[in-house]
Amino acid sequence: MAALIRRNAAADRGRDEIPPGTLYLLILKTLAVRGRLHGYEIAESILSCSDEVLQVEEGSLYPALQRMLIQGWVQAEWGVTTGNRRARYYTLTGAGKKQLGIEISQFERVMGAISRVLETA
Amino acid sequence: MSLTGELRRRLQMLFHRGRFQQELDEEMRLHVELRREQQMAAGADAEAARRAALRRFGNTARIREESQRAWGWEWLETLLQDAGYGMRAMLRTPAVTAVALLSLALGIGANTAIFSFLNAVMLRTLPVKDPQQLVKLGAENWDGITDSFACTELYSYPFYREFQRNNAVFSDTAAWFSIINDVHGFLDDRSEPEPIQVLTVSGTYFQTLGVEAQLGRMLDEADDSSEGDHPVVVISDRFWKRELGRDPGVLHHTIKLGDVVYQIVGVAPAEFFGTKVGQLPDAWAPLSMAGLIPPHWGQYKGDFSESLYIAGRLKPGVSMAQATANVNVLFRSILLSFPDALLTKQNLVNLNRAHVQLESMARGLSDLRHEYSEPLFVLMAIVALVLLIACANIANLLLARSTARARELALRQALGAGRMRMIRQLLTESMVLALAGGALGIGFAAAANRILLRMISQGAETVPLDVSLNLRLLAFTCAITIGTALLFGTLPALRATRLDLMESLKSGRGATAGAGRTPLARILVVSQVAISLLLMVGACLFQRTLINLSHVNTGFNPDHVLTLSIDSDAKNFKDNDPRENALFQQIETRVGALPGVEAASFSAFTFNQGSWNTTIVVPEMPLRRDADVMHNIIGNDYFRVMQIPLIAGRSFGPQDTATSQHVAIISEHMARTLFPAGSPIGRTYTIGSPDDGDTPLQEQVIGVAQDVKFGGLTEPPRYIDYLPYTQREWGYGDFEVRYTGDLGAISKEVQEAIHDVDRSLPISDVSTMSEQVNHSFTNETIIAELSAFFALVAVFLSCIGIYGVMSYLVGRRTGEIGIRMALGAGRAAVAWQVMREIAVLVAAGIAIGLPAALAGGRLVGGMLYGVSGTDPVSEAAAVAVLIAAGLLAGYLPARKASRIDPLTALRCE
Repeated sequence: MAALIRRNAAADRGRDEIPPGTLYLLILKTLAVRGRLHGYEIAESILSCSDEVLQVEEGSLYPALQRMLIQGWVQAEWGVTTGNRRARYYTLTGAGKKQLGIEISQFERVMGAISRVLETA
Repeated sequence: MSLTGELRRRLQMLFHRGRFQQELDEEMRLHVELRREQQMAAGADAEAARRAALRRFGNTARIREESQRAWGWEWLETLLQDAGYGMRAMLRTPAVTAVALLSLALGIGANTAIFSFLNAVMLRTLPVKDPQQLVKLGAENWDGITDSFACTELYSYPFYREFQRNNAVFSDTAAWFSIINDVHGFLDDRSEPEPIQVLTVSGTYFQTLGVEAQLGRMLDEADDSSEGDHPVVVISDRFWKRELGRDPGVLHHTIKLGDVVYQIVGVAPAEFFGTKVGQLPDAWAPLSMAGLIPPHWGQYKGDFSESLYIAGRLKPGVSMAQATANVNVLFRSILLSFPDALLTKQNLVNLNRAHVQLESMARGLSDLRHEYSEPLFVLMAIVALVLLIACANIANLLLARSTARARELALRQALGAGRMRMIRQLLTESMVLALAGGALGIGFAAAANRILLRMISQGAETVPLDVSLNLRLLAFTCAITIGTALLFGTLPALRATRLDLMESLKSGRGATAGAGRTPLARILVVSQVAISLLLMVGACLFQRTLINLSHVNTGFNPDHVLTLSIDSDAKNFKDNDPRENALFQQIETRVGALPGVEAASFSAFTFNQGSWNTTIVVPEMPLRRDADVMHNIIGNDYFRVMQIPLIAGRSFGPQDTATSQHVAIISEHMARTLFPAGSPIGRTYTIGSPDDGDTPLQEQVIGVAQDVKFGGLTEPPRYIDYLPYTQREWGYGDFEVRYTGDLGAISKEVQEAIHDVDRSLPISDVSTMSEQVNHSFTNETIIAELSAFFALVAVFLSCIGIYGVMSYLVGRRTGEIGIRMALGAGRAAVAWQVMREIAVLVAAGIAIGLPAALAGGRLVGGMLYGVSGTDPVSEAAAVAVLIAAGLLAGYLPARKASRIDPLTALRCE
């Protein structure tokens, strides 16, 4: 549960509308599907894939990305956007793929538990 | 996800903080920019798009901070901030900081210096393989060594061989000669002899220690397999550097000792100094050559030539008790098996009583350890106390400063700074101070170490003791540095942060009048005075000991006597070669005739140089086995040189030759105690008891000499006899010259005269008799000098403490004093009031310190001479010094108080 522990609880307080602890999961999954993205593209991708439901406070992506860099889940390199601007692109590493698996199974376990509680009610 | 990878990334971030920050900013800027463009593309106007982009992004400053925190270096930044703040605070009050730093540097430096000696002499293990497994036979108990049967400290070569073959508890055993041989030899074909210290060791020595050569090979069992035909040596790193300039072709060089040319076969590792702390041989030769080092010594294979140390490496799983049992069984059976064992009734009693004690050799052997352990512990205690005083001083300074900063601290607390956070900041400031002091202290210690090494060394070369900085030492210094910071920083930090906010904010001054009573500051000053008194009493005691020692009557006159050594072995004479004594006589005559020389003589010993002891047999008297007679072999003019009065009879003269009746002069104490009543002149006695192997010598007493000190200044009267070297050959040449006039000139003339007689004679150890006498109480001198120095430092620091606290109090009370003066108090009365407070502090310190000093004096009683640990003179002197110092320190603040102008003071209020 490294991801959850590493997260600074105070950081995502308030306006964060995605379920707590799932930001890593979303970023990892997005990178797994789309490959090489910069920060803005990640935010856009999450937004569009969730049919504009999941509203990320866009800035909070960046501390999360920094933590993931330290953990070695993602790699960053500078590149050029289609609009010919310098941007930092993130890609998933081997450790990141493994972590994605962990995060998914963890998420499913929690969701499953919550669903079961709701069903019995 | 490897942890090291994570740490590496974090460190990268730390070292490239600027770049990382820039990249993050750029990335975030791009994001906001893209969002703004997207909004504009969706139809918003420029201003609305900008605001929407910023709103959706969130608080940039917070996000940046949070990203930074992700890297986990926040604590470091705070620490650096606090440290920087502390540094600035220190620089704002340079005088206070200088005093604090100086006292810390002195305190920490002195502790480091003394500890480095303690470590080198007492704690460090030998630089060999698994030193913990090494065990030596015997307990370095020198009082137990005599010529009597069954010695348990030193062993003969045949004993070692038997022991090596038959023991069941050691995987390896080694033996080595107990005395390092100071010989002169020739490197290659050089014509000037070099002094070389050679230690003869068994072939197994290096293998047992597990020491490998840094070049060539060490000695092995084959080098020690047959007598006299293995002329090989291993040289020390120091010798290699000094004599051969680290020539890589060292293995092609040779050393000639006497007739024998030794091949250098290897160089020992740089850190290896042998097995005795404080000794570093230049070369190691196999014991098979021991009969030739020094040349023609020739007697190493006797069953009872007991001159070797034996040590071994314990087999795995063998306990000390098992080893001791096995060794003692072997000890008896080997001694009994020697065909030349003299199994007299007395010797069998000795053998039954003998017990070989086994001791760990992990830390090597050391005379230094015996000599310096007690002084080192006393010095360690002294410097620790000085450091405590320094801590008290700095605590007081910080206390005063934090009171002055009360407003600032209160303001920050009011603005929401947590108490822990503020304590942390204040402690960081203390730590900065302590670390600066510690760093200075290490520099100070390096200098102090050199001085101390010089003090314990005799002659030109310093004792080979490695007291340089090492890990253990650094850890010790760090520990005391952090310890002192906590010690002097904690109380002020706790005090400073426990404030009544409202009171402090209302006024910078009046409200803290409560702190003007500062019991804490007073307690610190009182304890400083108490500790200073303790140190002062100690210093007085050691000082008196030193004075007493320098006034001891030695029985001879050490003034105006030049001493030097001549190594006659370099001449390569065989035993009993008449040319040797002829050479001695020629030198005595030649030097004796020099202008400015009153008399000159050779002797085997002079003072504090060791001795040759045996028991003697006096007809008509019972045999006294406990009475060791020390024999000195001398030239005819020895008594004139040393100015030892003859009480009866005559001195040696030309009539005493190798073939005439053997004659001796005995000491007063020996005549009175070991001889029958009446004059001993004309009586005969025998040197050596029938139980010892040596051929007894028959001597006739021709004179009685006044008692002299022989081994040390504090010894009781000894049994000493003197024999002429014409009748009892003695190869070593200690040479003494009584002179008048300038020492330097005489010394040069004497050496020239000796070289006129024989150019090839190596002269060494040029010194004076008084230096030799002084060297015998080096210990006491060092203790006396250092304890006096540190006691003065302690008193000085206490003065600063008293001065600081009283100045501060007077400053705080300006208003109060102003009112009193306005009401009619005289200046003298005001000054007296301040002085009275100081007197109370000093008196309290003395009252606490005196009993402690009495107890401490008793503890060091063994190190004193001619003065008791509870010496009232020393105590009175120390009390007087402290009272004087206290009054001196209080004078300035008292004067300041008496000069307060009531009007100004009241206006300030």
